[in-house]
Amino acid sequence: MVLYNFKKITVVPTAKDFVNIMLSKTQRKTPTVVHKHYKISRIRSFYTRKVRYTQQNFNERLSMIIQEFPKLDNIHPFYADLMNILYDKDHYKLALGQLNQARHLIDNVGKDYVRLMKFGDSLYRCKMLKKAALGRMATIMKRQAPNLVYLEQVRQHLSRLPSIDPYTRTLILCGFPNVGKSSFLNKITRADVEVHSYAFTTKSLYVGHTDYKYLRWQVVDTPGVLDHPLEERNVIEMQAVTALAHLRAAILYFIDVSEQCGHSIAEQVKLYESIKPLFTNKPLLVVCNKVDVTPMDQLSEASREALSIFEKNNVPLLPMSAVTDEGVMDVKQQACDTLLAYRIENKIQAKKVDSILNRLHVAVPKTRDEKERPACIPEMVLQKQRLAELQEFKKKLEKNLEDELGDDYILDLKKNYDLPDEYKYDIIPEFWNGRNIADFIHAELLQKVEELEKEEALREEAGYYAVPKIEIDETLREIKELAQKIRDRKIINRNESRISRQSSKPTTPRTAPARARGRSATDFRSRMENLGVDMEGTDDAHFTKTRGRARSLTRSQSRTNAKKPRLGSMHRSVSTSRSQSRVPRNQSGVRDSSMQLKLKQVAHKAIAKKVKKQGLKGEADRFIGTKRPKHLFAGKRGIGKTERR
Amino acid sequence: MPQNEYMERHRKLYGRRMDYEQRMRKKEAREPHLRSDKAKRLRGLKAKLYNKERRNEKIQMKKKIKEHEEKLQKKKEEKPKEGALPVYLLDRDVQSSAKVLSNMIKQKRKEKAGKWDVPIPKVRAQSDNEVFKVFRTGKSKRKGWKRMVTKVCYVGEGFTRKPPKFERFIRPMALRFNKAHVTHPELKATFCLPIIGVKKNPNSPMYTNLGVITKGTVIEVNISELGLVTQTGKVVWGKYAQVTNNPENDGCINAVLLV
Repeated sequence: MVLYNFKKITVVPTAKDFVNIMLSKTQRKTPTVVHKHYKISRIRSFYTRKVRYTQQNFNERLSMIIQEFPKLDNIHPFYADLMNILYDKDHYKLALGQLNQARHLIDNVGKDYVRLMKFGDSLYRCKMLKKAALGRMATIMKRQAPNLVYLEQVRQHLSRLPSIDPYTRTLILCGFPNVGKSSFLNKITRADVEVHSYAFTTKSLYVGHTDYKYLRWQVVDTPGVLDHPLEERNVIEMQAVTALAHLRAAILYFIDVSEQCGHSIAEQVKLYESIKPLFTNKPLLVVCNKVDVTPMDQLSEASREALSIFEKNNVPLLPMSAVTDEGVMDVKQQACDTLLAYRIENKIQAKKVDSILNRLHVAVPKTRDEKERPACIPEMVLQKQRLAELQEFKKKLEKNLEDELGDDYILDLKKNYDLPDEYKYDIIPEFWNGRNIADFIHAELLQKVEELEKEEALREEAGYYAVPKIEIDETLREIKELAQKIRDRKIINRNESRISRQSSKPTTPRTAPARARGRSATDFRSRMENLGVDMEGTDDAHFTKTRGRARSLTRSQSRTNAKKPRLGSMHRSVSTSRSQSRVPRNQSGVRDSSMQLKLKQVAHKAIAKKVKKQGLKGEADRFIGTKRPKHLFAGKRGIGKTERR
Repeated sequence: MPQNEYMERHRKLYGRRMDYEQRMRKKEAREPHLRSDKAKRLRGLKAKLYNKERRNEKIQMKKKIKEHEEKLQKKKEEKPKEGALPVYLLDRDVQSSAKVLSNMIKQKRKEKAGKWDVPIPKVRAQSDNEVFKVFRTGKSKRKGWKRMVTKVCYVGEGFTRKPPKFERFIRPMALRFNKAHVTHPELKATFCLPIIGVKKNPNSPMYTNLGVITKGTVIEVNISELGLVTQTGKVVWGKYAQVTNNPENDGCINAVLLV
């Protein structure tokens, strides 16, 4: 829809910001650590990268700016001219051109210094070169400061220009200042343009959109134009002239017939004559505004004389008053119609149309006989239509009532309620005790309540709600007590675990000794007895026959073969658990001593085999004779590959 | 659709927010806090830059304040005592003869030395190791008789290389310069002038022959652009200038014209 989006241009930073952005980007995105003992090639590439990266960034950013600003040669002449008037074409081109120049200069600086860096023989020299390079780039940018400021201002102004589409259906309002152009725009569109009773309230172009015949019409409001030669026109007037010159649109020339704008009708007609060349080949309407002050028939003879020019030239003259809305719609409609007709005519004349028209074919069937074939309307529909006609007399609509009563009419919706007359006007609260009354309303409410009550009474009589008496005997009570006990215990357990879980202390303190195993046969027995299990006769039960856990014998062995215990721990009882270090590797996973013996033998054999084969001095010998045997690594390579010789 | 000066228009129609003034006042009042916060938070290079800028700002502010204060102050002008000398007579005949003498001696010395005086009289010695890089040649890079100059050089326009096999010194293209930024000490202006030749490199006559340009080297520059004229009315076109920077570090040659 929008042809040119001038709002999308990115912000142009000031020169200082520009340099800051670039340098900090280099600092952020390139490596920062280098030492002088590094290989010189590494140091060189480190600094070269910085220079090159900065140069690329400058280049990118500048290219972006240059590209984003519209090129005056490529855009529609209307916009090109408007920009020329507002920002001065030469200045604009110069600013962009200089940025382009700066880009080239920066590229050259980058290239030169990268070349010099190739001969840098120390970290210091490379660093100085980098510094000089970045410094020169920054200086070049600093010189562009005024250009950047100018472009930023242009950008801001551009983004606020009204987006006028130069190709759509457009109405242009023009005339002397203070003749009511903006008021008309406000009348027919939603554009909220400033209107005041002094000249040059509108200082730039404004655009509004309106609908007519389901089409979208663009209405352009221009600042007032005074009657003097083109060279003397100022920027504000020139905008209006640009719009008139370049937009192919219907032109509404406004004339203030009341002469309140400070210019006589003769003067206004003179202005029309002088800017007439701008109206050639465009549909034109002359609008006589402010007829509420001076109606057309009360005009003086002289002014009538002046206005007669338009009649001679076949230009329609339309009276209008923006204050009283008189003729506003007429003006709009006539303008739109003439423009539409004009555009269609133009299109038909154009060459393009032929190719489309050739393909178009409207088929009109011939009549094959004399027989009449009227539209078929079903009987029911006809009946309904007839009824509707009759009913019009029968039923009185609210609208009819309103017309009859006039100001005394009061809208009364309650009279149509389906209630007996006495209830119709009762006031019913919408909410009662916080409940929506509508939820509880039921047609047969009372009846239903009565039915429910009856049912309830019957039930009561039958003893439906009586509580049965239950006898409790001895065993039942015992069970109940036990159950209660269990429940209590459960609750206590739950609470305890909750408390223990809440504490944030480590579950096993670092200084604590390894936990001794708490389970034992006696413990188990006592606990079971506590719970009430009969444990008699279990002295020889299976659970009493415990043996050590099935684990590698290393544990027991290490205990027996333990090194000489320290003096302090001499009298420590055997059962106290101690921290246990990891099992030696040759013993882990070994089931028993016989297995260990076997393993030892296997290992010994394997080692002996390896030692013998490689001529080693022993198990720990890691000697490698020649690391790079000459015959494998020197000389020309004939047949075969590197790895197979 | 907002167009043209829609913000100003809105302000005209509806005014600003009710608390606009207050908000602005508060914002302004918070400014120093935000600044100090920022100053505390920043680290490294950013902090350095920020603090430098802020310092300059403060200096400017203080100067301004002082200016205003001085404007407000009422100065008391001391009345001269009776019999005091007026200002225009103050400097007459008060110069002591000793001062005159010493001035004369200084003048003479200056004149005598002037002929050989250059802006940078002392130059750091540059060893061959520094200036030349040994260039290994031969099929297995065993020979080391070739040298590459690692400093900036001036190579005359008519220079043709010897056949590479016999060329002892290589002067890389990247290090060949033929323009210098020359400052005229009296005009206090700098010009980018073409170099005509290397007059003398104080380190060694060999460097002079090779055209190596280091700090302190005297070069001959073409100043016909400046349009200086001799006493007889001829245009001077060649003049000597001394290099004041390390061109190999800066990537450009800066020099002072010897006048």
